[in-house]
Amino acid sequence: MNWINMLGPWQWLLLASIPPAILSLYFLKLKRRECAVPSTMLWRKAIEDLHVNSIWQKLRQNLLLYLQLLFVALLMLACIRPGWSGMNRAGERRIYIVDHSASMQATDETPSRLELAKAHATKLIQDAASDDVAMVIASSDRASVEQGFTNNKSLLLNGVDRIEPTAHTTDIREALRVAAGLANPGRASFEDSVDVQVADAIPATVYILSDGAVGQLDDTELGQLKIEYVPIGQPQTQNVAILGFALQRPQNTSESSDKIEAFARIVLHESNPANSSPADSTPIETTASLYWNDELLDAQKIKLEPGREIGLQFEVDRVDSGSLKLQIDHPDPLPLDNVAFAAIRPNRQVNVLLITNGNTALERALQTSRIAQMAQVTVETKSFLDSQDYANAAADSKYDLIVFDRCAPKKMPEANTLFFGSVPPPDIQPTPIQPTPQSTTTPTAVPSSDNSNNISNSISNDTTNSNSDTNVNTVTNTTDANTDSNTDSAWVFGEPTGPVIIVDVNRSHPISQYLEMASVGIVESRTVKPPAGGTVLMIADIGPVCAVAPRGAYQDAVLGFDLVRPTEEGTEINSDWGIKRSFPVFIYSAVEQLAGGITEASAPTVQPGWPIHLTLSNRFANYEIKNPSGNLTNIERGSDGRFLFTQTEEIGVYEVYAQGIAEPVERFCVNLFSSRESNLQVGLELKTGAESISATDTTIRARQETWRWWLFIALGLLTLEWIVFNRRAFV
Amino acid sequence: MTPPNDDQIVLSAEMMAKLERMELISRKIFRGRMKGERRSKRKGQSVEFSDFRNYVPGDDLRFIDWNLFARLDRLYLKIFLEEEDLHFYTLIDDSLSMDYGSPSKFLTSKRLAAALSYIGLCRGDRVSVSTFSRSGQPLVIRGRSSTHRLLGTLQSAQCETNSPTMEESVRRFCLKNTGKGIVVLITDLMNKSGYESALKMLVAREMDIYVLHVLSPEELQPTLTGDLKLLDCEDSDIREVSISSTLLKRYQQALDGFIESAKSFCNRRSIAYVSVRSDSDIEPLLNDYLRSRGLVR
Repeated sequence: MNWINMLGPWQWLLLASIPPAILSLYFLKLKRRECAVPSTMLWRKAIEDLHVNSIWQKLRQNLLLYLQLLFVALLMLACIRPGWSGMNRAGERRIYIVDHSASMQATDETPSRLELAKAHATKLIQDAASDDVAMVIASSDRASVEQGFTNNKSLLLNGVDRIEPTAHTTDIREALRVAAGLANPGRASFEDSVDVQVADAIPATVYILSDGAVGQLDDTELGQLKIEYVPIGQPQTQNVAILGFALQRPQNTSESSDKIEAFARIVLHESNPANSSPADSTPIETTASLYWNDELLDAQKIKLEPGREIGLQFEVDRVDSGSLKLQIDHPDPLPLDNVAFAAIRPNRQVNVLLITNGNTALERALQTSRIAQMAQVTVETKSFLDSQDYANAAADSKYDLIVFDRCAPKKMPEANTLFFGSVPPPDIQPTPIQPTPQSTTTPTAVPSSDNSNNISNSISNDTTNSNSDTNVNTVTNTTDANTDSNTDSAWVFGEPTGPVIIVDVNRSHPISQYLEMASVGIVESRTVKPPAGGTVLMIADIGPVCAVAPRGAYQDAVLGFDLVRPTEEGTEINSDWGIKRSFPVFIYSAVEQLAGGITEASAPTVQPGWPIHLTLSNRFANYEIKNPSGNLTNIERGSDGRFLFTQTEEIGVYEVYAQGIAEPVERFCVNLFSSRESNLQVGLELKTGAESISATDTTIRARQETWRWWLFIALGLLTLEWIVFNRRAFV
Repeated sequence: MTPPNDDQIVLSAEMMAKLERMELISRKIFRGRMKGERRSKRKGQSVEFSDFRNYVPGDDLRFIDWNLFARLDRLYLKIFLEEEDLHFYTLIDDSLSMDYGSPSKFLTSKRLAAALSYIGLCRGDRVSVSTFSRSGQPLVIRGRSSTHRLLGTLQSAQCETNSPTMEESVRRFCLKNTGKGIVVLITDLMNKSGYESALKMLVAREMDIYVLHVLSPEELQPTLTGDLKLLDCEDSDIREVSISSTLLKRYQQALDGFIESAKSFCNRRSIAYVSVRSDSDIEPLLNDYLRSRGLVR
């Protein structure tokens, strides 16, 4: 017999108190009526005779007590509803999916949409039949099973109670997959390629309590799932939201290096157009305030039209490090998206390894004073590539940038790379790109003729083309129409040919923006076409000859030509770029951008709940991350040499500290930046491919069981009967 | 002195008329002190010849059998049986336990004592009436003219709080009364120290002993219920009981055993045992039951 506890603590306490109450009534001292008799002689003898058979007499005297205790025991046993595992079950299966994403924190419902959803779920559980089994899943961008299948309503209600609000985005597909796992059991494929269903499908009713911002369900197979959608929220809810906030240093070289440009994208989501009133179409005027380290720097009045986005630009000077906060001073139901954070990443010295068998121009370019300020350069010969030290260094991310001069490793290192005239190993090729659910962008409303190409600030973020299980958000520019990047998904290296004339240089990329290549002569070069997501830096008459592309957390820059090239007689000059002034500029920019000497002004940002890969200096084995609340978390280098931080629940700026260094060595931000979450329109239906699921009424007709109440009344009557029957006064 | 109520009268006139025709009889012939109507073993002056004895000087010459002198030429005196009176003793238990029942056992006891004593008075018997408390100072009366004294004494008798025990009372009685006769002990035998020693003393006196065991209907068939604290009238002993059918059955068994034990004790010692309900009528008791036991005729 399986124990199924149907009672709460107070109910157990009440039941357990009944037998002692009966016993105490039975054995309490009685007040007896006095009665005069001629003599107690015969009564004494009668009592003595009674005591002779005391065992049986006790039993006979207490028989009523035992019967009543037995009756109470049976009643108590009935209350706890003992049962055993059986094969037959008459009740239906229910799955309650409660959306606890960021949009459910909206306060258009009192106290919030999430609390209302939990109240609805509670009511559905209470109204369910006693033999229905159910489970509770909390859904945001991931599914969390709060309570597995059970017919114990107390457990289910506790599961609902445990659901806490989050700032996550929404992707209900995982929750539906969990639900479908039961309703649609897996199929096994055998050698004859025949799929066999290994278990019977068990239909289930899924109650989705959400505001409708659940993401795309087109590829979701419902199968045996019957979806009941319970919309939560007021249909006419406007909301102001910040959809993007990024920093960058000005492109104009005449600007001072400590000036920062802040760009923001703000939207006013309108309420349901079909239900909107004339008042809902009124523009909103409010103020956007910019704070620097919590100190007000600037503010702008903005006017927001319903359903339209605007861009904001702030220029902040005399700042070199710290965090910026943009706040919209407009009260709306969802204050989460009225604030956005950005941080300026601190300067840091990087480690650079040059592997060459001799390249004077390159070595000297790496020995300039500017480079010495931000990098520590180590020069090794090609033989170093075969050493264990290199292998360890490559695996341990010891170096931030490895420059391969006319050589290439057998395997790409865990570092940013710059290849001079050599073809990188095959594993430079990126993994297939996964489509991202959301992309935050740098503002596109800022007019700039040089902004037609990508402005990527994803140097340290995990991009979408690697480690798809992490699925970190990527910050990319959506206006890629004018990009010169190769749309192929792999690097393509041509054969050396020449002579080559550089015809164009990418002025928008920080590596190549200052280069003048018109007078550079190149004898021989190969074409270098980066994969999708990469950027061509130089284009020659033969095609692109220099490009940079991301590889996971790193970036790889490949130059199709070298300064010198080997010949039968030895080496000879392949290009005079080494003696041009643009060459050390190129080297400096490459170290700055690739190694992260002075990285992008704007720290990377992720959405709440998403993990972030941090490329940190390999001088420390572990770091501490301080979240916006000030709590410190220690992180250690992972097996891949990188640091993975997952506790990004809180919106704000996170700082990374190394042991012994007072200033943070890195910063990153967590922002909502989700148009779907900020749009508080309540979806009245869910679309799963061709099927549309309309909202349902939460009232479910179910048989209410009242036998427990009758049982408790019976117990109370039994106790009362005991009192009345014995007519005893307590002494 | 206020006249008693009808239900408190120990002997009514009507009853007295019926009792005049009765006579106390004894299973034994006892020597009385005064001339009565009972033949006695003592030789006295009566018409019933008993025996001869030698004449001694000083004997009454009227009793010389001259026929026998003529034949034997010797003087013999005729002896006749003496007619003596009967000593009838009544001992009434006046302990507090007797003042129980409806009607009370004590009233019934007084009525019995009055009826039997009146019979004795009518026959010229010597009647001695006392209670346990006054066993050393009995009321000794004779003749019908003493009826009013009899009734007055009995009417005024009350149960005494410090009534001596049966044994003590009987001892005192035996010391006070050396003669023999009929002794009627009217009691409920509810004596925690036992009745055996008292009855043995009476047996030692070679009296014709009658024990009238008076019990009330409440004792014979108690109707008590509930949880009670039983209070002994005499010694204030307390017993807490919860009345149940089992307990009542046990009590009944104890009572039957007690009665049987008393009866057996009396029978083994030639004591006449008579069980009397306090609510029973005196007349049928005397006419039927006591007559059958040989106390009256």
